[in-house]
Amino acid sequence: MRFATRTFLSSFVPFAILLAVSFWAIRVSVISTVRDGLRASVRDNQVALAREQARNQARDRKWLQGVAESSTLKAGLQLLYTERVGAPANQSRKSVEEQAHNAVLDLAYSTAQDQARNTVQDQLSEICDSLGFDFIMVSSVRGEPLAAVLRNAGGFTPIKFFHLQPPEHGFFSADNRLYEVTSVPVQEAGAQVATLTVGGLFDISRFGVPAVLLHNGSVIAAAMRDVAPGQIEKALAACGAGRECQPRIQDQTYLSLPLGLTAVAGEDSYVLRSLQNVDAASAPLQAVLRKLFLVAGLAALAAMFGISALSSRSIARPLAEVAAHLRHSAMTGDLPEFPENPGGVQEIRDLTRGFNFAAKAVREGRERLTLAYVQFVGSLAQALDARDAYTAGHSRRVSEYSCAIAKALKISGQELETIRTGALLHDLGKIGISDLVLQKPGRLTPEENELIQQHPVIGKRILENVQGLESYLDIVELHHENLDGSGYPHGLKGEETPLDARIVKVADAYDAITSDRPYRRGKSHADAIAILRKACGTEMDPAVVEAFAALGDQQKQHIALAGDQSLRSLSQAVASPELDRVREGQR
Amino acid sequence: MWIRLVSGVLLGSALLAGADIHGTIVIQRRLTRRNVTASAGMYQRGVAVELGADGEEDALAFERSHVAIYVEGASVAADPGVVKASIEQRDRRFAPDLVVIPAGSAISFPNFDPIFHNVFSLSKVKSFDLGNYPNGQSRTVTFPSPGLVAVYCHLHSNMSATIVVAPNRWATKADGKGGFTLADVPAGTYSVVAWHKTAGTFRKTIVIGDKKDAELSFTLPYVVTKDSEPIAHR
Repeated sequence: MRFATRTFLSSFVPFAILLAVSFWAIRVSVISTVRDGLRASVRDNQVALAREQARNQARDRKWLQGVAESSTLKAGLQLLYTERVGAPANQSRKSVEEQAHNAVLDLAYSTAQDQARNTVQDQLSEICDSLGFDFIMVSSVRGEPLAAVLRNAGGFTPIKFFHLQPPEHGFFSADNRLYEVTSVPVQEAGAQVATLTVGGLFDISRFGVPAVLLHNGSVIAAAMRDVAPGQIEKALAACGAGRECQPRIQDQTYLSLPLGLTAVAGEDSYVLRSLQNVDAASAPLQAVLRKLFLVAGLAALAAMFGISALSSRSIARPLAEVAAHLRHSAMTGDLPEFPENPGGVQEIRDLTRGFNFAAKAVREGRERLTLAYVQFVGSLAQALDARDAYTAGHSRRVSEYSCAIAKALKISGQELETIRTGALLHDLGKIGISDLVLQKPGRLTPEENELIQQHPVIGKRILENVQGLESYLDIVELHHENLDGSGYPHGLKGEETPLDARIVKVADAYDAITSDRPYRRGKSHADAIAILRKACGTEMDPAVVEAFAALGDQQKQHIALAGDQSLRSLSQAVASPELDRVREGQR
Repeated sequence: MWIRLVSGVLLGSALLAGADIHGTIVIQRRLTRRNVTASAGMYQRGVAVELGADGEEDALAFERSHVAIYVEGASVAADPGVVKASIEQRDRRFAPDLVVIPAGSAISFPNFDPIFHNVFSLSKVKSFDLGNYPNGQSRTVTFPSPGLVAVYCHLHSNMSATIVVAPNRWATKADGKGGFTLADVPAGTYSVVAWHKTAGTFRKTIVIGDKKDAELSFTLPYVVTKDSEPIAHR
């Protein structure tokens, strides 16, 4: 697992869980608070409504008392009673004559009784009309109906009620319509003489809240159309009469309060209750809250995600840079230093500083080793040169000529250094050639020549096992190859011989031509250039020769005369300024 | 004694040779505020409309025809001129609701409605209660002394009628145009009385000569107040 991933997960996951849990908890508590508040307000509303209802009833009763005091109505009732009292009750009819007589009497009487009832019904119609009732009835003290009128379309119809004793307050249905009725006593001289019952068509939807009317536990009117009466009955069966309760219907919480219109008449009981869906009332707000919390929670999670990602990246980046740097070092073998202060983190800074220090030490050690070897080899070369007075300083001069040519050919940097040191070591292989052959005055035999020609290979063999000197191998091995392939040891042609080897070959040849030999004196510069030019195309690389020729005599002379053959000048020639400083520090 | 006899004869001849009083009742605004319900069958009550508002009945004609006129004066006090009149009970109303009769006359109250009615009066002049009686029955009451008799029904508080019992036979109601005639009034000086239920009683003195018709006009009420509601005479 990557460090960044681990940092991200360890910062994001716990916070995400914490955030989600706390959001969920807040949401639940807020929603329940809101629902409770709404429920309380719904209850208050219903309680107020029930009180209003009760107050209205009381007022209605007082007002109805006034109606019951109507003197004409009382006169009508008196008429009715008068006509009824005279009614022949269960007369035993003994003879046909008597029966006929009684029938006539009955007819006459019934006409008068009908007229008396008509009179009262007419009065009732008038009351109904002027006071806006839908139903009106008078009944005797015993509860026997005397006359009743019902409002129809366009008028009033007298109806006959038998065995109907309306309660003081309640409901009953007539003509397939439900009436809400109130009864008041009709009094004369402080004694009740009849009961006046008036009523209006019952409209369940006139209440401010959804309501339901139950008759003996079964729903006879409900303001809710989406709920089946059976479900309401079942839910309300558990509610105590006159008590507030919270039934659950279709997984929704309802609030039900008695609305003050509870009526019990004999075995019949009518109960009017409010039945309001509390969940539905709070549903829109809840939905809004849910959405709000979801959005806020997701936004917080997204913000958390972003912050975690950024912070984990910023933590991991310096480390990743260090890791990449180290990986690069491991792959290349180089030990470059870290840039100063990566990421600004103290620990990383300490780490890189330590690495830098170690890398520097290693690099210096490595360079010192290389230098020591170069110095050693250079000493060897000088010692080699010094074997023969004629070749003294040869290696150094070749090195400097080669450098001059290389600079003229726009070679710089590491390649230039390679040429400088390579040229210094180019004749190292002569260490394995006998002095007899090497210092032999006069011509060499073919065998001796062959021995001499072994020196590039010997030099290569000496150097090839030393780490850090691989780059000089080409110069040491191939500086006697000719352009036309007639050189040794491999007979490479043209470009097959690397440029640095070709440069060193020209410099080597020049120095050999211009140096004194036991058997001849050194040629002049111009002669040497001429000889070199003659060898162009066959042995020498023309471009190199021309570059050398263009350097001019003066500079070349300066190089030749500047020769301080001490070890120090040699080391200066190969060393970098930094190494010098190190060396100074060591002293 | 003779003189008295002669004067009696003269008086009698004067009576025979009496003159007519032609009168006009002028009413220019509605005096009675009253709602009536158009009768539409037994229990089919219509919507209440203000009288005259429907245009079928002239409100002013109604007012004029509800003015009773009679003569007061010593010389005519003894002439009864008894009549028989009737106030019917129809559609929960007394019809007519104003009757003018000489003292001593009798009025019958037949019930034509299919319901019971009751007729009673608490007036000083004549107080009576005929009880409740159904359709087809009638009761009769005699009114011996002059005065106003208000008649009501116990069962229907909106039913009312007024009986003007005049002291003599020179008594009548104005017609719809306000005109009235009191025929054969003997010569003499009288007070002519116009009575309206709400406007009140109005008196005018008139002198009747032999065989000379008199003209008389009443304007009811006397003063037209600012806030009263004048109605154009139709």
